[in-house]
Amino acid sequence: MSTSRHPIEQEELMAYLDGELPADHATEALSHLELCPECQALAADFRGVSQELMAWEVEAPEVGIPSEIDAALGERLQKRETAKVSSPRLKNRVMTSRWVWAGALAIVCVAVGLKLTLTSRNRNQDRSTAYPSMASIEQYLMPDRDAEIALARSAAPQAISSDAKILVLRWRGYETAIKGTNGFVCMVERSWMSPFNSAEFWNPKVRVPMCFNPAAARSILPLTINRTQMVLAGLSKAQMIDSIKAGFDNKELPAPEPGAMCYMMSRAGYLNDALGHYVPHLMFYFPLTDKSSWGADLPDSPVTLNPQFRDGPEPITEFVIPVGKWSDGTAAPVM
Amino acid sequence: MKRKTFKMIALAFFALVVALCAARPGRAADPKNPYPTSMAPLDQYLMDRNDEISLARSAAPPSISKDATVMVLGRHGYETAIEGTNGFVCNVDRSWMDQFENSPEFWNPKRRGPVCYNPQAARTVLPILFLRTKSALAGKSKAEMNEAMKAAIEKGELPAVEPGGMAYMLSKQGFLNSRCGNCAPHLMFYVPVKDAHTWGAGALGSDFPVLLSPHFNGAPEPVTEFIVPVSEWSDGTSADSGDHAH
Repeated sequence: MSTSRHPIEQEELMAYLDGELPADHATEALSHLELCPECQALAADFRGVSQELMAWEVEAPEVGIPSEIDAALGERLQKRETAKVSSPRLKNRVMTSRWVWAGALAIVCVAVGLKLTLTSRNRNQDRSTAYPSMASIEQYLMPDRDAEIALARSAAPQAISSDAKILVLRWRGYETAIKGTNGFVCMVERSWMSPFNSAEFWNPKVRVPMCFNPAAARSILPLTINRTQMVLAGLSKAQMIDSIKAGFDNKELPAPEPGAMCYMMSRAGYLNDALGHYVPHLMFYFPLTDKSSWGADLPDSPVTLNPQFRDGPEPITEFVIPVGKWSDGTAAPVM
Repeated sequence: MKRKTFKMIALAFFALVVALCAARPGRAADPKNPYPTSMAPLDQYLMDRNDEISLARSAAPPSISKDATVMVLGRHGYETAIEGTNGFVCNVDRSWMDQFENSPEFWNPKRRGPVCYNPQAARTVLPILFLRTKSALAGKSKAEMNEAMKAAIEKGELPAVEPGGMAYMLSKQGFLNSRCGNCAPHLMFYVPVKDAHTWGAGALGSDFPVLLSPHFNGAPEPVTEFIVPVSEWSDGTSADSGDHAH
């Protein structure tokens, strides 16, 4: 990974995933990650390795130890205990044993490292072409309607989402599953709300729970509905981009209303392979606005510019502000 | 004779004490309220100019505040100490920016609230500060200030809040009130008062990510202020708690 193409080093990417990168550099890393398939693949690999290491346990033997071997081992252990007390060469033997163990451990580490490197290389090659086109619609749908409702609601604290309107994705597009009363609308976005040049634009695993406030429900949600209709109609990316541009030109698509914002505080969401469920945050929408007006992306600023619509056909500026807790009230890692 | 003289001296001393107490502005009349019930002497609200510039700038990360306009409180109101280039304006709020009702610390001279307003808020929220400060320095009481603000709003002297108005309050050195001291680092967002219920905000002290500030909110300024606590102070250090209470 060269820094001429990538503003973040591999080590920094690992630090970012572990939440150890300073806020300003983390912002830069996030922005780059959103648009760099190579880094997304690498990040996903790092996450995979972490998960594998976390889950790694020594397996119990499938069959029991025969009684003869068990007895022999017991006898040998007993002799060793006796030797510990009497043998003057005990210290040397222990040291020798330690060196043998250290050597064995080093060999295992090298072997594991080699395997992971090879696996990572293969995954890099796989991921860059992992989501080249739309998968079957079934893969984007959640067969359990109640699960999708619950996931959508997890985007915001219960006090908000319990009275919100809930949309779920079906074969023909988003449908109202529950009518709300507070003007908020919660739903689960799919991968096609990513930037058009994102490597995960067609990732069927993506599930992004969101709760739009009334102003965003009127002026941002229509963009999600619109993209989804086009996707389900089988339009190409180029056709979608042209259609969206035309929609804004002829005012069929609305401009963001003042005060449009949404909650994204679900710990159960899956934003993409690189970010996982990310961190709980709020998002704020504006017509194209200079990011400096909110001090976004500046060192130590808690405000970042979301790349979702950047350089895309929708003329929208979207700011992100991380918050400290998930919607269920549990503490979240600090970004 | 001696007894009479002693009585006269004692009476005169008592009268002097009473007179001094009455003449001292801001003295708390209610023993349950340790804060002044009227404005304390102006000097108690003023600061060393350089200290005030530094404190004002601490409201936002240096990447923002170093290029901001900085205003300091003088004897005749806020004045520009440093001309900025990025549209942000940083200053230190005083106690009279509290709500008019239920605000025992409205005249607390210890209050120092460093704020950096973004350009939209600088154009539309900062005028509230200027107007309130003008009234306070003119010697108006809290009730008179409230009436003055109402009159200004009726005459259209305050601009409508601009979309995207927000401010940084990330100073570790501020003193917002006696309950929480420097409280917690947070951002503030301004919307018209008619939209007060559209962000899903909870009450101060609740577990909501967006909190409704008691400031303004139609009493009388037609502005609603939302608070979003964040995790770090302007110097990049971590805040211990996400709780916030003005």
